[in-house]
Amino acid sequence: MWKSRRLAPLGQAFRTPLSALLSLATLALCLPLLWVALHWLVLSAVWPWQPAALCQSQTGTCWPFVAEKLNLILFGTYPREELWRPVVTSVLLCAMTVQTGLQMTGRGLPLRLGQTALLWLLALGLSFALMAGGVLGLAPVDSIRWNGLPILLLLSVGAIALAFPAGIVLALARDQDRVPMLARLAAGYIEIARGVPMLTFLFVGIFVLPLMLPPDTRISPVAATLVALIVFHAAYFAEDIRGGLHALPAGQAEAAHALGLPYATTAGRVLLPQAIRRALPSIVNSVIGAYKDTSLVVVVGIHDLTATARMAFSDPEWRSFALEGYFVVGLWFFVTCAFLSMVGRQLHRHSPAR
Amino acid sequence: MIPPSPPPPASWKFSVRDALIAAGAVTLAGLAVWNVLQNMQGAGLAPGFAFLWQGAGFDVSETLVPYSPADPYARAILAGTLNTLFLAAVSLVLATVVGLIVGLMSVGPSPIARAVAGAYVEIFRNLPKLLVLLVLFVAAVTGLPHVRQALSLGPVHLSNRSLLFPVPVLEPGHALVLAAFGAGCGACWLLARHFARRREAGQAAPPLWPFVLLALGGLPLAVALGLGLPFAWSVPQLAGFDYEGGARVSLQFMVIAVTLALYHGAQIGEVVRGGISAIPRGQTEAAHAIGLTPRQATRYIVVPQAVRIIVPSMNNQYVNLIKNTSIAIAVGYSDLMSVSGTVINQTFRPLEMMLLTMAVYLAICLCVTTQLNRINDRLRLKEGRA
Repeated sequence: MWKSRRLAPLGQAFRTPLSALLSLATLALCLPLLWVALHWLVLSAVWPWQPAALCQSQTGTCWPFVAEKLNLILFGTYPREELWRPVVTSVLLCAMTVQTGLQMTGRGLPLRLGQTALLWLLALGLSFALMAGGVLGLAPVDSIRWNGLPILLLLSVGAIALAFPAGIVLALARDQDRVPMLARLAAGYIEIARGVPMLTFLFVGIFVLPLMLPPDTRISPVAATLVALIVFHAAYFAEDIRGGLHALPAGQAEAAHALGLPYATTAGRVLLPQAIRRALPSIVNSVIGAYKDTSLVVVVGIHDLTATARMAFSDPEWRSFALEGYFVVGLWFFVTCAFLSMVGRQLHRHSPAR
Repeated sequence: MIPPSPPPPASWKFSVRDALIAAGAVTLAGLAVWNVLQNMQGAGLAPGFAFLWQGAGFDVSETLVPYSPADPYARAILAGTLNTLFLAAVSLVLATVVGLIVGLMSVGPSPIARAVAGAYVEIFRNLPKLLVLLVLFVAAVTGLPHVRQALSLGPVHLSNRSLLFPVPVLEPGHALVLAAFGAGCGACWLLARHFARRREAGQAAPPLWPFVLLALGGLPLAVALGLGLPFAWSVPQLAGFDYEGGARVSLQFMVIAVTLALYHGAQIGEVVRGGISAIPRGQTEAAHAIGLTPRQATRYIVVPQAVRIIVPSMNNQYVNLIKNTSIAIAVGYSDLMSVSGTVINQTFRPLEMMLLTMAVYLAICLCVTTQLNRINDRLRLKEGRA
């Protein structure tokens, strides 16, 4: 018998032959990997306070590279003297996300839905104004130079925040039977968007959307990408919300109808609040997916974090430190996604649906 | 899974509102098309798919069908589509294997294996697939040796450019062997159906596997030996700066397949874990109580129920994986997406190309979904019959 409770799992690991075999096989596979990781990250790493020249002889992480290039990785080629603007934008968007996430799990500032929506619109407007400049005496900055973290946050957070209401509209349009034509159009659109890769939507946004506008109108690549992302994610949110709508007892809609409520009130006051609450776990999953997939915009020439990391290690002086650059990017994604996953798990635990 | 929307009532009356909505949609689409026409005219282009039969003039790095830069765009797109299908097939198998291992580890008896599987799933759930792909690509290019110092395991060679392995040399007569194999497959299918019917009718039926072995292994072998066909391997040999002979897959292909296997393996692992742990403990306990061995309990009680939970989510996973093969463009593997990107850059016909590309992806995904739904329906039917 194992005396300490903390060691009990160890006892379990070797209790039966099968269990022992599994444990040993797993250890044999993972310990070398762990050793390599430990070696690279800690044992033979060059710390930021050590001279960068050491990196040539050591085989581990080159932190001086990260220290030197962190500005470039985070903010890319945004003008150095205006750096406070992307910093404020990033902090603002992060703060809004954290607030909304905490609010969903019952902590954070208790805001009403309308207030949250208004705050999001304000934050997004302010972010774009800050990044673009040209107002309030800020020097204008071309959207080509919005790089790194702020463009990742603007595109992901902006697309998610704007795709969500679009998804609600699509879900309602697909799920009503008063205008069958609308339901068919919405269903067709949702199925098409969910059957093709996101990259095709990005290509359509970058190459086809400008063609669809009247001659002599221009749309910046960032705006085109944002439109493509909104239109794409809306289909996924619509399916999540439709799942919530289907989980509602039919009596809800019938009772609202019996009370003589018009359709808009029924949808807005009776169906949607319950449906969205029920759909929140899958909505959070879609949000995480959408956020991670925003990194694909690099394919259509938007310089998000992976692209700025590449800028950092394409400097001939630092050519061999690609993994360090990607490690920083991975760390950022890991931490932010872990927060979003945490929100999702808390929703599972004390689901407000009951 | 959400059930599909209820079908519209049988007598669908076309109301005024429907007409208005349709008119609105048509107007919007018409406006977009009009603008596209105007813009293309401004650039001196007429819309249409005739350009597909012009010479492509660019090379596709690795193809499953013979291809040269002199071939038309249509053939380049075909080569890209086949590459996408090949990549998807390989990644599907790899991801399923990884997912099954991870899923079984996380419901297995060993706490160490459970912890490792949990950590694995958590890591890949929180990283974008593009980043995984880029990291693996950098690591493979810098970590693997040059062609001349390739890692060799018998006739298989791995370098930072490609993986080389021996393949049998095909001769015209081998078509007959293939035909024999096909006939064997058909015979197996008929036999399996026949045995299943007999069992259903309560009659005894012999086990199927000896027949399968005979039809799939014996029949082609007999044909090959009977015809006295030569059987040779083309083995990769180091010649000068590169290998000759054998077959090769590029490093890009391998890195993408591994990325998709790891990334989707984590998600499939979660699906498998969820399916198995959704079976209430009472089921296994009841199985033991009526005297089934643990093995029988797993075989007849847990697995059939878990499979019914797992298969519908697997459907989603497979479709997602197929769509995600398009990240190949980021490391320059010539799949459908990157070929159509190149064609757009060369011809400046984004509208036609994107319509074509989306249609192909949609068709692939629809095929896979229909097949998987069929399997799903069959599983559900059995439940009703029991």
